[in-house]
Amino acid sequence: MSKDMKIPETEPSNLPWLGRKLLWLDSIKNVDRIVYALFIVCAGLLAADFMYHKHSYLDIEDIPGFYAAYGFFMCAALVVCARALQVLLKRDEDYYAPKDVASEAYPEDQMNRETIND
Amino acid sequence: MTDLFPPFLLFVAGALVLPLIPNGHPRSLAAVIVPVISAYFIWMMPEGMHGQFLFMGQELTLLRVDKLSTVFGLVFCLAAFLALIYAWHVRDTIQQTTSLLYAGAAIGAVFAGDLISLFIFWEGTAIASVFLIWARRTEGAYSTGLRYLIVQVGSGVILLAGILLQYVDSGSMAFDAMTLGSPATWAIFLAFGVKCAFPLLHNWMPDAYPAATVTGTVILSAFTTKLAVYALARGFAGTEILIYIGAIMAIFPVFYAVIENDLRRVLTYSLNQQLGFMVVGIGVGTELALNGTVAHAFASILYQALLFMSIGAVLFRTGTAKASELGGLYKTMPLTMIFCVIGAASISSFPLFSGFVSKSLILSASVHEGHYIVWGILLFASAGAFIHSGIKVPFFAFFAQDSGLRPKEAPWNMLLAMGLTAFLCIAIGVYSDPLYALLPYEVVYVSYTTTHVVTQLQLLFFSALAFAMLMRTGIYPPALKSVNLDFDWSYRKLGPALIGAVRYVVRGIWGGLIGTGLRGVNWGFAALQRAHGADGLLARAWPTGQMVLWIAVLLGATLLLNYM
Amino acid sequence: MSPELAITLTILLPASATVLLALMDKRPNLREAVSLITAGVLFFIVFGLFETVLDGARPAAHWFDVIPGLSLSFEIEPLGMLFGVVAAGLWIVTALYSIGYMRGNNEANQTRFYICFAIAISAAMGIAFAANMFTLFIFYEVLTLSTYPLVAHKETADARRGARTYLAILITTSIGFQLVAIIWTWVAAGTLDFEIGGILTDKIEPTLLPFLLALYAFGIGKAALMPFHRWLPAAMVAPTPVSALLHAVAVVKAGVFTMLKVGVYIFGIDLLSTTGAADWLMWLAAFSILAASIVAMTKDNLKARLAYSTISQLSYITLGMALATSLGVMGGAMHIAMHAMGKITLFMCAGAIYVATHKTEISDMDGLGRLMPFTYGAFFIGALSIIGLPPLGGAWSKWYLMLGAADTGQIAMMVVFMASSLLNIAYLLPVVARGFFMGNSVPMAHSLGAAAVHAKGMKAIREAPLWCVIPPCLTAFGCVLLFFYAGEIYTLIEPVAFPKGAAPS
Repeated sequence: MSKDMKIPETEPSNLPWLGRKLLWLDSIKNVDRIVYALFIVCAGLLAADFMYHKHSYLDIEDIPGFYAAYGFFMCAALVVCARALQVLLKRDEDYYAPKDVASEAYPEDQMNRETIND
Repeated sequence: MTDLFPPFLLFVAGALVLPLIPNGHPRSLAAVIVPVISAYFIWMMPEGMHGQFLFMGQELTLLRVDKLSTVFGLVFCLAAFLALIYAWHVRDTIQQTTSLLYAGAAIGAVFAGDLISLFIFWEGTAIASVFLIWARRTEGAYSTGLRYLIVQVGSGVILLAGILLQYVDSGSMAFDAMTLGSPATWAIFLAFGVKCAFPLLHNWMPDAYPAATVTGTVILSAFTTKLAVYALARGFAGTEILIYIGAIMAIFPVFYAVIENDLRRVLTYSLNQQLGFMVVGIGVGTELALNGTVAHAFASILYQALLFMSIGAVLFRTGTAKASELGGLYKTMPLTMIFCVIGAASISSFPLFSGFVSKSLILSASVHEGHYIVWGILLFASAGAFIHSGIKVPFFAFFAQDSGLRPKEAPWNMLLAMGLTAFLCIAIGVYSDPLYALLPYEVVYVSYTTTHVVTQLQLLFFSALAFAMLMRTGIYPPALKSVNLDFDWSYRKLGPALIGAVRYVVRGIWGGLIGTGLRGVNWGFAALQRAHGADGLLARAWPTGQMVLWIAVLLGATLLLNYM
Repeated sequence: MSPELAITLTILLPASATVLLALMDKRPNLREAVSLITAGVLFFIVFGLFETVLDGARPAAHWFDVIPGLSLSFEIEPLGMLFGVVAAGLWIVTALYSIGYMRGNNEANQTRFYICFAIAISAAMGIAFAANMFTLFIFYEVLTLSTYPLVAHKETADARRGARTYLAILITTSIGFQLVAIIWTWVAAGTLDFEIGGILTDKIEPTLLPFLLALYAFGIGKAALMPFHRWLPAAMVAPTPVSALLHAVAVVKAGVFTMLKVGVYIFGIDLLSTTGAADWLMWLAAFSILAASIVAMTKDNLKARLAYSTISQLSYITLGMALATSLGVMGGAMHIAMHAMGKITLFMCAGAIYVATHKTEISDMDGLGRLMPFTYGAFFIGALSIIGLPPLGGAWSKWYLMLGAADTGQIAMMVVFMASSLLNIAYLLPVVARGFFMGNSVPMAHSLGAAAVHAKGMKAIREAPLWCVIPPCLTAFGCVLLFFYAGEIYTLIEPVAFPKGAAPS
């Protein structure tokens, strides 16, 4: 979706009950809070490494925070590589054929576009 | 002809009867009942070889019942049951019947005790499944379906070639463990590999699965590839090359999954990746590893179906499954979102979710057998799965930037199917004993140890941390309307281009040859005329044999002229 | 009924039916009844003979000697029996279908059509049961001549041109090459009788064998081996029942049947295999299989596509013979029956589509499957059989052909068969997929929202006349039956394919 597109206002009362309860996710501040919570959980998990006896098969596993570092750096590397690949591999949606699954619309008669306002 | 009733016949019978039942709730109910009855039959079957009979001079075994085949048979029934609930609202007769036939063929193949029956069902899955793609009824789906079918039947004919070579070599049609070496076993291995989406043989999957209908993709995701996993586990357990093939399978789709825009294609790449784990398990081949493969196949059928169901529901309500078009749906489809997150947590192997108790068996097995690099790759693949399927899919569909779409919650039958599947994903993760009891070998494995839980949580949360930071810094690849080149470029672009070039050259040469040939024939005729004119040799009395010969020559020449 | 009488009857019965047919010119119902009854009786007689042959008997009939040692005589051996049963059985279906098609299309000169049809069947029986190459050749030519008016039936300029090509190629190859080969054989071997193991062993220089085989292989133009295949697409101007007869029942099957006969009874499989005389033929047949398939893909006209498909499929049988192994002969013989059943289904479906909609181009047929589900269903089954997929008859012939290739270590030929299956998909199934899934939408895809209302106003089923639809459904069902009863064919052919009794499977 393009950024300047106007997002229609939605009456919260139209939303399902669960949707209303989750609306707090809409605020940027709350999203920040989630990220801070993630920081804290990560710190806690890292600390946990020093608090129990690790059953390991490999020496490398015994390094404190090995799994944490592995996860973090491998994922960072993955995303960076993928981004580079994207530059290389990206093509228009109708690259293979003018009528390709990637570019054509899903047939209307096989779906049901009901909205909450209906 | 057989002592036990083969479960696949139930599906065939169901498919034949279905069109006669009023199209509506009765028919949907009838379809859903078939896998239930079939599961009961499978559950009651005593172990051993059943359904044996002589056909075309060969002893066929329709039912080889042992723990390996039974667990696959059961999970196929379960998958069919859930998928058919999900497809309850579908009124397209072709999809209804072929779904049943497809599931039936897959179940038939799993119980096949000889290579002939295996081949028959193998091709059966190919034919029945293509209709789920064509049923989308668009030009793109039509071509995709044709490509899919050619690859699938291609796998079948390679299997056939392998079977025949095997038969010529050994005189046996039994489907037992094989050792790679002869052309026969390589052909069979390759045939399994195509359906299992080995690297470079995998393109049919990301090509076809996102092209199927909403419900079709859910059904497709369960059977074909898991059947191939079963066949590999049966035929090639402990084949070392599978470890490396599996390791490559487990990582390279990750990159595509990260950049792909169509979320159903993201899930297809992640399915391919999960197959990599199973293939590694088969390659390691120990009891622990094979248990891991089977458990993971079981778990992954469920969570993969759940993920496809949730994104399918989004597609059903919004008409798109593209990350670039979606976002913010959690407000209006919160239940679908929750089910999607449960599927995501399962595929990411969060503790208490199904992936955790199955994937760890394979990782442990690989490290037990000293495959440390493979273990490292699988660990990376786990983190990668979390990034693209665990976070990306739910994030872009339900959160991210608000797309302005306000679709209604998924219909009741989809919610029910997703709810049941989600329940199973959690149930297996929380209480894995029933699943472990189904596995081919005895399980002496405890997944919930402190070490395991803490290390897994570290891996996942720090991966999430990486995602959050990359997202916030804008390094994470944006969702763009695009397709990404994969190996199918070779046969969708390069191949046709080469053929075009060859055709151009051949046409040129052919044209030249014809011209020269025509001149030659004309010249020859003129020469004949000069030598044997009307009052020349032909006027004389000839022995009959020679006469006929000459007539023949002349007629041959006339014929040539006829062609020009 | 004595076997001699039975054999003579199979040839004379359809031939004499022509008189009745001619008399019934003005009474179409009676005429068609005669045609059907003759077909039924013929099949009854042939089936009686089938049982006899299956039990190991070899019924024979001697008509007369042309010159000493050269006679017009018949002896039924398994290959001929198979061809005879296929031709007689499918004649009934074609006869039924002709009624629906010819009337549905208001074709002119229907009596001539039925008469020529009967003569063609009579000739096919003669070919099937011939005891020597001379008799076979005579009936081979009768078949060519009797089908000429059928091809030219519409009497348009196009039809005449097609028929001329048809006649020219078949006559010239048969006289120019086949007759020469027969005379050569006669001179070399002193006999033209069909004998298991062949009549040429030690009678002819091994280096010359490939040339003699070439004269036969190209002389049997009806087998449509490339480059002598052009008559087949040319003959597509004919009405569809004729195409069914040409492509499934009589003409092309007579060709490949003769090919098998020459391989098994003139040369002998052992001779071919020890001298390697058929190696070149194997490669040429492989080329024919692939090239014709590729050409088929480029044809938009449905019948033309099926014609090229036939060329490709016929070369399966030639290739089976050229493999010079028992299993290849088995596969080739089986393919006569399997392909006949599958291809006649496809042609009758193509005809039904034409009768119902007057469409001939595949690209115009989008969405027709929904209007003609039975026709398209039958087409789908026929196509799967041609592709060679279980559970349809075509799977078994392909099985044995590939087994034959595996047995002789010809991996390349296995690859050809595999590739051919995939090419078959690429040119046959688009018809089905486009018919069922393109062009219009499903009446009701699902039960929710607007889709459920959509069902109103959809076109209902609009099939061709009943007798255009039932026959292809019957033969489609036949394709399924052949999968389960292929064992019968195996048992029938076994003594020919494995004369030494060494049957591995």
